[in-house]
Parts: sequence; structure tokens; C-alpha cells
Amino acid sequence: MFKWILVAALAALTGCAQPPVYQWGAYDELLYRGYKDPEKIESMRLKLETHVASLEASRTKVPPGIYAELGTLNLQKGDSTAARSFYVKERDAWPESRGLMDAMISNLDRRAETSKGAAS
Amino acid sequence: MSIRLLLGAMLVAVLSGCATQRIDKDRSALQAAAPRSILVVPVVNKSLDVDAPNYLLTTLSVPLAERGYYVFPVHTARTVLEQEGFYEADMVHAQPPAQLAKMFGADAVLFVTIRRWDAQYAVLATTVTVDFEYKLFGKDGTELWQSTQAIKYQPQNNNAGSPLASLIVAAINAAVVRAAPNYMPLARQANAQVFITGPDALPDGPYAQKR
Repeated sequence: MFKWILVAALAALTGCAQPPVYQWGAYDELLYRGYKDPEKIESMRLKLETHVASLEASRTKVPPGIYAELGTLNLQKGDSTAARSFYVKERDAWPESRGLMDAMISNLDRRAETSKGAAS
Repeated sequence: MSIRLLLGAMLVAVLSGCATQRIDKDRSALQAAAPRSILVVPVVNKSLDVDAPNYLLTTLSVPLAERGYYVFPVHTARTVLEQEGFYEADMVHAQPPAQLAKMFGADAVLFVTIRRWDAQYAVLATTVTVDFEYKLFGKDGTELWQSTQAIKYQPQNNNAGSPLASLIVAAINAAVVRAAPNYMPLARQANAQVFITGPDALPDGPYAQKR
């Protein structure tokens, strides 16, 4: 009984605020800082990668789009191998992303093929 | 009063407190489309602040995803659009929504336009205003939902005691707001009201928390 009173009291106090569904690791704030000052994009990538690694370690769902953003941030600094693996993770975590992620991945693969062909 | 009655009263209070008043709008198109995923494209700017659309773009994903939708990564989407030659948000908004949805495999596309993002200066009080228009289109191009939201902020100056102290505080506040008006909390508040708590908030998406 007391448990229920506690629950009701807590609900009354917190009003309508729902606990967040996801742990964002300040994604929006980091992106804002990166857009404000492009030199902060790299620190955004590092912080998000650390955040995602800790979510994976505790088997917590990574919020929608975060793997893909890390893919793009890696691609923009020239690491297409890391980019590809993040795009694959986004695709596997979120079926809604499949069309876009498949296109991004096959683009990267095609680019890799072309540069291999050019090198040999 | 029995404890059970008390509990019941509390529960009613909690429930009625949470219930949002809905405007009686036709939501049948939105209900029929029942989108799972939303593509948020770059924001069109009708304010004079050139940074505003980028800044607003960073605030849209979190509330929509917390509402239960798969939200396409905004930075990635913007990069893809640029690669396709769409460098300006106006160009993107001029495209048929159905075509954009198809390009990304999205169920719905959200267009956001900034109508105001400014600070009106006065000696003792500065008012900061944001005003946005939101339009959601389905993958077949039909408009599913739309809303507008304006938020005004004026620093409160009324708790400094003596009239002279109040004047000084007001002047300092106005100077601070003038030097660096902080729009981001207002933008977040506008989004939260329009997507989650307001009278024509979006329905729960497929990943919404069970209530």
C-alpha cells in the first residue's frame, strides 16, 4: 500500500514529465556547438563515440540516428571504414533507416572499388 | 477519509493534470498514414539571423524521437541533400515532399520555417521572440499535420527590493540579453509544446513509451 502512495505522490510531484526514452549524451547540444564553431565537430565525434560505446557496454539502446551521424562525421574526416561500420550499425538497429543506410553503404563500397581499380 | 479515497483523488488529479486539451482538428490523414519515420529537412529562414536555421535544426530530433518516431539523422540528411545539389533549405522545401520521402525511404517529411528569431531592444527590458511554422507531409505528398508556435521571453525584473535597485537590475538584464540573447531554450520550449504538450501535439510514434 505504501508503495502505491509513494508512486502516486511521485507522479503528482513530477506532473507530466515522462522519463526520456533514450540517453542522448547531449547530442543536440554537441551538434549545436559544432554548427556554431566547426572546430568543435571533432570533439562532438569523440564525445558521441564514447557515449555510444558506454551504451553498448551496458546493452542500452542507442537513440535513432546517432550511429548514422557518427558514420557521417567519420566520413567527413576521411575515415570511410569507420563510417561504413557505423552505417551498418544504424541499419541493423533501426529498420526504418534501411533504405538510406543501404544506399550510403553501397556508395562507399563503390567508391572503394573505384579507388582500388585506380591504384592497381 | 480512507486512504483508498485519498489515493483515488490523487490519481484523478494526476490524470487530469496530464490530459492535454486537443483542438478539434481533422487528424484522419495523420491517423491513416501512421508514419513510423520522419525526415527533418533543413530549416527555411525568414528571420534576419543567418545562424538561426542551423541552430534550430539541432533541436528537432530529440523531441520527435522521444515522441516515438524514428527520426532521420539531421546532419547526415543535410549532407546527403548537399551532395544531391540542394545547398539551400529553400530549394529543399520547393521539392515535392513525396520525392524527398522517396529519396530517404521516409514515411513523412517535416518542413520547419522560422518566422521570427529576434530580440527587441528597449532600455530596461528586452523581449526575445521565436516563431516557427511546422508542416508534416506523408510519403504520398499529402499534408498530415501542421502547427505554429511562438514563444516570447522577457527577463523578470521585479524582485530587487528598492525601486533604484530594480532599475539597475533591469538595465543589467537588458544589457545581458542584448549582448547575447539565448534563443536555444525558447526553441526547445516551442518544439516541446508543438510536438508533445500542446493542443495539437503529434500522436505517439511506434517507439513511444508505454503509459
